[in-house]
Amino acid sequence: MRAVLVAAHLLAVIVLAIPDAGGVALRRDAWANPTVQAELEGWAERLTSWGMPIETPELEQRVYEIAQSWTQALHTLRTPLRPYRDVFGVRQTWRMFVAPHRHPGRLHIDIERDGQWRAIQIARSDQHDWRAPQLDHVRMRAMLFRYGWKRYRRRYDALTRWIATKAAQDFPEASRVRVRLFVYQTPSPSQVREGWEPEGRFSQVVTHRLEDFR
Amino acid sequence: MSRILGAPGRAWLRWVDRIGRRESGEALALFRIGSGAAVVASVLSVVMAGLVRPIWIDAAHGGILPLTGGWLVQALGGATPSVVWGLVVVTLLAGVTLTLGIAGRVSALVAAQGMLALTSLDTDTRCSYDPLLVNSLWLLVLADSTATLSVQCRRRHGRWMDARLVAAWPRYLIIVQLVVLYTATGLHKISLSWTPGGGFSALYYILQQPSWQHGDMTWLAHVYPVTQVGTAVTWIWELTWPLVLLALYVRSTAERGGRARRWFDRLRLRTVYAVIGLGIHLTIPLVMVVGPFSLVTLAYYPCLFRAEELRAMGRGCARRWPWRRGGG
Repeated sequence: MRAVLVAAHLLAVIVLAIPDAGGVALRRDAWANPTVQAELEGWAERLTSWGMPIETPELEQRVYEIAQSWTQALHTLRTPLRPYRDVFGVRQTWRMFVAPHRHPGRLHIDIERDGQWRAIQIARSDQHDWRAPQLDHVRMRAMLFRYGWKRYRRRYDALTRWIATKAAQDFPEASRVRVRLFVYQTPSPSQVREGWEPEGRFSQVVTHRLEDFR
Repeated sequence: MSRILGAPGRAWLRWVDRIGRRESGEALALFRIGSGAAVVASVLSVVMAGLVRPIWIDAAHGGILPLTGGWLVQALGGATPSVVWGLVVVTLLAGVTLTLGIAGRVSALVAAQGMLALTSLDTDTRCSYDPLLVNSLWLLVLADSTATLSVQCRRRHGRWMDARLVAAWPRYLIIVQLVVLYTATGLHKISLSWTPGGGFSALYYILQQPSWQHGDMTWLAHVYPVTQVGTAVTWIWELTWPLVLLALYVRSTAERGGRARRWFDRLRLRTVYAVIGLGIHLTIPLVMVVGPFSLVTLAYYPCLFRAEELRAMGRGCARRWPWRRGGG
């Protein structure tokens, strides 16, 4: 009996660990992200150079269809395993550092005092480190990494409201808080060596009146 | 008899025989200590950072998001401060008792359900080490991990270490879990940048992402080839972890002989893969902020070795220990 149960556990772990395209990976709007598009372009070029000519949009469509069917098949295969997975926590999602995010967003938080904006928090800055123990924690990093994607916009707005509550407490003289992500392309090694400064733009800019949070 | 059973029947009998094996419990004890410490580190870091309310408590009580939680949180009455703080305290206590080796299976079960409940509250803040740690804890529910190096052992036998035999199959499951973890994460790495086609540039660019870096990492541009070697080693090492299973199988069936078997065994792949893994997991916290991921994963490593191998390693380390040389 024990041998049967151990074999069943092994089978469950292996089936649950088969890579799929779950979560954000199967949302078509997420594929418009420049990082994803650059990956598809790279693979299209590579396949073409290997004698399998294909344009990026066609590759995108084919990969999306295969990913959909594959994930649906795995979903069916995993259905009987779901109670075991959920009750005992035998989840096997090992989607770690699948691809570098070439267009990340860096958190910037500013407060307005006497009509002047002043930075209080810039991610990974030693100078602007307001609430660093919280905002630098690995769990907040995971959250902020996800909130760089458009589909998390509502939750990002909730985060900005929490930030406004804390800013209202910590800066009684401030009138407004501004939360935004500086989105830029990470520089290549040669660009860094040439002294190139990344150009970017501020995205997901949200401003709150602190009076509303006091 | 074997002729009547046929090949599948014989394989099944070998499997049953393997599952019935027993061994002393050092590897499982070290796995328990590492996993228990990881539970404490994981929960305590959230408490110390003042993040319990923001990320684990419902927005109606001061949290960032409206949270419903899993079945346990719902059964307890929702993500209210009293429920969540109760879970935090109980999980922390279970982590401590598990590390010390008190009520091993119960501690592991409580810690597993506590971690599962807490990390299912706000899945946006979930990290990859969370499911791995819950898997570790479930394996510890199945294992007799307090036979040695535990308070329980000390109470029973008046000493910290004991050679009482325990079932070996939980250690086999732990090894398979480690192999599955690495192989699956390797298979997920489909970006061109992990491959020669992308110039093995993945690690360099990942370390430029503000999400995971300690600080400015542009200096890596000046040692770019090192990051390329790191990318290639990481990717190939992850993808080829099933070879470790093969190496263990070959070693455990050495009595069957054969030139290929002897040649493969001489490669000592298990040790090579463990040393590379140790290097990778000790480097990760130096260059990235990924929580107790390395601690959770390295807790699995002692289980790659049998008790006598671990004891031989321990004796080897003790002989090389500087204070011993100094003390003559």
